[in-house]
Amino acid sequence: MTLADFKYSDVIHRCFRCGYCKFPINWMDVNNCPAYARFRIETYSCGGRLWLTRAWLSDEIDWTEHLAEILYSCTACKNCEVKCPLRFNADILNMIVAAKSEMVERGKIPAAVKEFLENIQRHGNPYGTSRAKRAEWIEGTGIEQYHGQDLLYYVGCVGSYDTRAQQSARVLGKVMQKAGVSFGVLGNDESCDGNEVSKLGEETLFEMLAEDNIAQFKELGVQRIVTLSPHSYNAMKNDYPTYGGEFDVSHYTQLLLRLVRDSKLDISRGFKAKVTYHDPCFLGRWNAEYEAPRAILHAIPGVELMEMERNRDGSLCCGGGGGNFYIDLLGGSESSPARRRVREADETGANILAVACPTCLTMLEDAVKAEELEDRLAVRDIAEITAEACGIE
Amino acid sequence: MDIVACIKRVPDTSETDDIKIDASGKDIEKSNLAFKLNDWDEYVLETAAQLKEKLGGSFTAISVGPKVWEEVLRRALAMGADKAIRVDEDVVSLDPGCVARILSKVIEGLRYDLILFGAQSEDFGSGQLGAMVAEMLGVPHATLVVSLETEGKVIHVCRELEAGALEAYSIELPALLTIQTGINRPRYISLGGIKRAMKAELKVISLDNLGLSLNGLTQELKLERLEFPHRGKEAVIISGLPRESAEKLAHILYSSGIF
Repeated sequence: MTLADFKYSDVIHRCFRCGYCKFPINWMDVNNCPAYARFRIETYSCGGRLWLTRAWLSDEIDWTEHLAEILYSCTACKNCEVKCPLRFNADILNMIVAAKSEMVERGKIPAAVKEFLENIQRHGNPYGTSRAKRAEWIEGTGIEQYHGQDLLYYVGCVGSYDTRAQQSARVLGKVMQKAGVSFGVLGNDESCDGNEVSKLGEETLFEMLAEDNIAQFKELGVQRIVTLSPHSYNAMKNDYPTYGGEFDVSHYTQLLLRLVRDSKLDISRGFKAKVTYHDPCFLGRWNAEYEAPRAILHAIPGVELMEMERNRDGSLCCGGGGGNFYIDLLGGSESSPARRRVREADETGANILAVACPTCLTMLEDAVKAEELEDRLAVRDIAEITAEACGIE
Repeated sequence: MDIVACIKRVPDTSETDDIKIDASGKDIEKSNLAFKLNDWDEYVLETAAQLKEKLGGSFTAISVGPKVWEEVLRRALAMGADKAIRVDEDVVSLDPGCVARILSKVIEGLRYDLILFGAQSEDFGSGQLGAMVAEMLGVPHATLVVSLETEGKVIHVCRELEAGALEAYSIELPALLTIQTGINRPRYISLGGIKRAMKAELKVISLDNLGLSLNGLTQELKLERLEFPHRGKEAVIISGLPRESAEKLAHILYSSGIF
């Protein structure tokens, strides 16, 4: 493909690298693009990536491993899109994804991205762990297989396989059980939702995952879905309808808030702590849900909620999106976004960093260890905080 | 240059606790396993694709196995193979000598300058097939090839020996090479590419078509049984803060003479 054939050939040249794509709320701090925060080189910002894409598609520069890494270090956090002041801003992230798609078609992608996508092709999850182990997190919880209950609880790959995220997947199940919610899971029959696959530019694989999942949900008579991960929520709410998958999809924080407001959950035991909340990109910037998680925390007796300076649509990504929780192009430095973010959480004086995403949970918990903040800052999922307030062990 | 690449489909055994020996004691339980292209053969296909891109000519991929094996041939077609041939025979129970006879019969009927095999397979790992086929066809060969360069009718290769030593050869074509991992960076095969490859030609032939029969293939080796290696000492889990655990690990590595 040449630049002329590129879907965005008529707009990509319009980015003149003003730099707003790196900003949080104003230009006091240009570190809000997670990859730029990590490397502090212009090419790692959205504007830089667009210029590199244009140069690559015009044959002004060759493909190199480094070029691929620069593109794939984009976590698809959408900060650039929210902050870009120009009229074509709705497409700047799509342009990066389209450039990744071209690399996928040419087969020239970083080794870790190749492994990630091949594992999903083969095993339905990025870790390369067997499909037969997907349901292991359920053991001992009494959570039922989906057989027509009111709600399908879609857990996702991270919640199903990552040891730490499995804990939050289990706890959310217990909270729903306690509230008397009629729900079931797919267990070993669950497959990847495809959100990261789509952001990594593997469109055909995403289509296949979406179509297979939709067919399975329809066959089982699923109408309502609650997801543990905002990534699954995003794919199912915004992308699945394109493939004929119209379901009533909620993120679990939206469900928990309804349960609290309808007095289905007794949270009177409370949770006594200073808590700061980290907005996950795929719940916040991608789906404008900033309030449900905060409203739950406000409702829980004992919670003293303190905001980090960067919050809501100015929140700094944990660095795990766009498959980066696995391909890890942003790790290994004190400038890594996750480490920056836990330092910001620590600065608020909070002793709990609340999250609403299994990817953020694992990324930020690792960062707390790397920063040696374990004695004063713990990362907890909102499902876990709610469970404690309900007296669930 | 006309290239023939021989590839196989193997179980994905990256998770060793998934591997169980079946009731016969001569095979593994496969019902819960995913299957894939043999790791070494990914490098074979990348080598063939790069040579074709550079020099032109034909690129044919061959496999001996049942219908499900076509998935690895589709990958080869998506990587640039012009033609794929599957010999419809389940060879898992056959020894490498029998498979070599089948493959050499197929290759005999093709135009070739260079025949490529993986240095070994991930499942049985005997590493014999390439050398046997070379002998049967009467062409020179080099095994464990880690680099290659073509120059007209000659190919310059480096073979990997022990302790990082390399052995360099110049071989006149036609020749056969067995390819070692790391020789290149195999490209990603997109699902779109595989879908497009579903339309490409994939020829299925039988032993009968080759003038061979199962009874006529004498097995030199007989598999008696499979068993797991005995487990060694228990692993040590290092705990503590990253800085402390790194120090403990460094101490273990240092005191055991690794550094």
